[in-house]
Amino acid sequence: MTAKRLRIIALLAISTVFLLAWAFPIVWSVMNSLKTDSDVLAYPPKLVFTPTWEAYRDVLFGSGSILPNLLSSVIISVGTTVVTMLMAVPAAYALARLRFRGKKFAGFYVLATQMLPPVGIIIPYFLVLRNIGWIDTYQGIILIYLSFSLPFAIWLLVSYFEDIPFEMEEAAYLDGASRLKTLWRIIIPQVRGGIAVTVVFVFLNAWNEFLFAVVLSGNTVRPVTVAMFNFVSVEQTLWAKLAAVSVLAMLPVVVLGVVAQKHIVKGLTVGAVKGGGRR
Amino acid sequence: MATTAVTSAEIASEAPRSDFGRVLAQRERRFAAALLAPAFLALLATTTFPLLFLVYTSAFRMDLAMPFTNGFVGFENYQVLLSDERFWTSLLVSLVYTGSTVALQVIIGLALALLVMDMKRGQGWFRVIAILPVVLSPAVVGMIWRTFMLAPEFGIVDFLAINAGLGSKNWLGDPTLAMVSVIAIHTWQWTPFAFMVLLASLASLPEDIYEAARLDRASAWQRFRRITLPLLRPAIVMVIIMRTMVALTAFAAIFTVTAGGPGTATEILNLYAYRKSFTELSIGYGSALAVALLIVTIIISGILFAMRRAK
Repeated sequence: MTAKRLRIIALLAISTVFLLAWAFPIVWSVMNSLKTDSDVLAYPPKLVFTPTWEAYRDVLFGSGSILPNLLSSVIISVGTTVVTMLMAVPAAYALARLRFRGKKFAGFYVLATQMLPPVGIIIPYFLVLRNIGWIDTYQGIILIYLSFSLPFAIWLLVSYFEDIPFEMEEAAYLDGASRLKTLWRIIIPQVRGGIAVTVVFVFLNAWNEFLFAVVLSGNTVRPVTVAMFNFVSVEQTLWAKLAAVSVLAMLPVVVLGVVAQKHIVKGLTVGAVKGGGRR
Repeated sequence: MATTAVTSAEIASEAPRSDFGRVLAQRERRFAAALLAPAFLALLATTTFPLLFLVYTSAFRMDLAMPFTNGFVGFENYQVLLSDERFWTSLLVSLVYTGSTVALQVIIGLALALLVMDMKRGQGWFRVIAILPVVLSPAVVGMIWRTFMLAPEFGIVDFLAINAGLGSKNWLGDPTLAMVSVIAIHTWQWTPFAFMVLLASLASLPEDIYEAARLDRASAWQRFRRITLPLLRPAIVMVIIMRTMVALTAFAAIFTVTAGGPGTATEILNLYAYRKSFTELSIGYGSALAVALLIVTIIISGILFAMRRAK
């Protein structure tokens, strides 16, 4: 065997190991979600088994259904996304395009807010929300989610606004259009793609959040990431059901991630060029 | 940013310093203020106000379990903190956790990026599969690893360990193994991030430099040492900065797996502040711990940013 052949085989082996290592825990959860508890617990682990939808039926429609939790997650994520975008789009436009005093400081401030450790924000927030009775409410969770979704969305959008040619707005001004009209009619349509990517990432981050949710949730508002814990207790673990809930919690973000595949690197590194960064 | 600055400067120099120009500039400022106001008010309310309030509560004894002992204590919480062994241990655990996860992510991510870059076929597989871990919630990842991967015997990792002749291990019950496990889980989830960023950066390097190096008969190692590494340096430093900030404040990835245990074996400072505040309900002292975490974060990011500027 030549050295070149050996090299190719080694490369192939290493690649396979890493691809397997990344994909396996996810694939394995999907497989376990289609098993019975005794199949999950089998030793050696069963790669071949008779699939059943039982676990999904139980977690969705049985007693202690997680449907309300999935709904909670959807309301929180959609609510956060809508509020974030309504505030972030105008702010990002101003930071990217307008001239005003203190612009540099404003941009720095947005970045610096991301340095705060979440645990440092949640302590005061818990105290305040408890006082005004907003624990276990959607408005309480969505408000605090702005602390991480807004800086992220603003910086991601600024990078898209900066790509539009200046001439377009100037032409609109010269035609006598007001600033607001120019923003709405000329600029926003230009950054539709960037807005779509930002929506995907804001939704994804809100869906995946855990620390704030675990402190601020209760019986009314409990997203699926927190509700998962009910399937693992000191007395017993409901193995197949836990797998089914995990898959349901993973499904939306995996779909969004694959859809936004080309923009993932930009979304993950936003703001990093200028400093900062987040979870 | 650069293009904006240039164009704005051009406009400013062309515009006559007339009343008309001044009115326009003023209108632009007002418009900017109106557009920025909602977002900045929200950021003030959700980040700056909590920070000030946190510093304030850290000067109080605020025990939700024993409210009758509450009151202003000044710097007492910080004095207690300095002689709190659990604080120093958690700080050490934080540094070990952050240092090892970031180093592993960068080294494995870079090695894989170099390897995949040379592949003629199959790059697409890596690009798709690498996305999966990074879009998942750390809470879900933690739960999956804790159960289906690390459970004794039928957990896949334990199954492999048994078959490799190591025997069944208590992956999350033994202090050292628990630390190894949480580090491995974090590394599993975020190495694809380093890999994707470094691969994108590698793909953007100019081809002709390598051509010249090959003509000069530079070895593969020399090409890596002298060309690739220096050119990738900004991307590598950026990955280090971003991943360090995240690892320092990792929560779900540890909380769902070990909850900081066994004992305090995997309790990073972030988790200690949480447990003190919300499990032991000692909010004043928890706030002081959170402030300490903020100071540590600022010091470390200061060092990293200095590293970025240095050539």
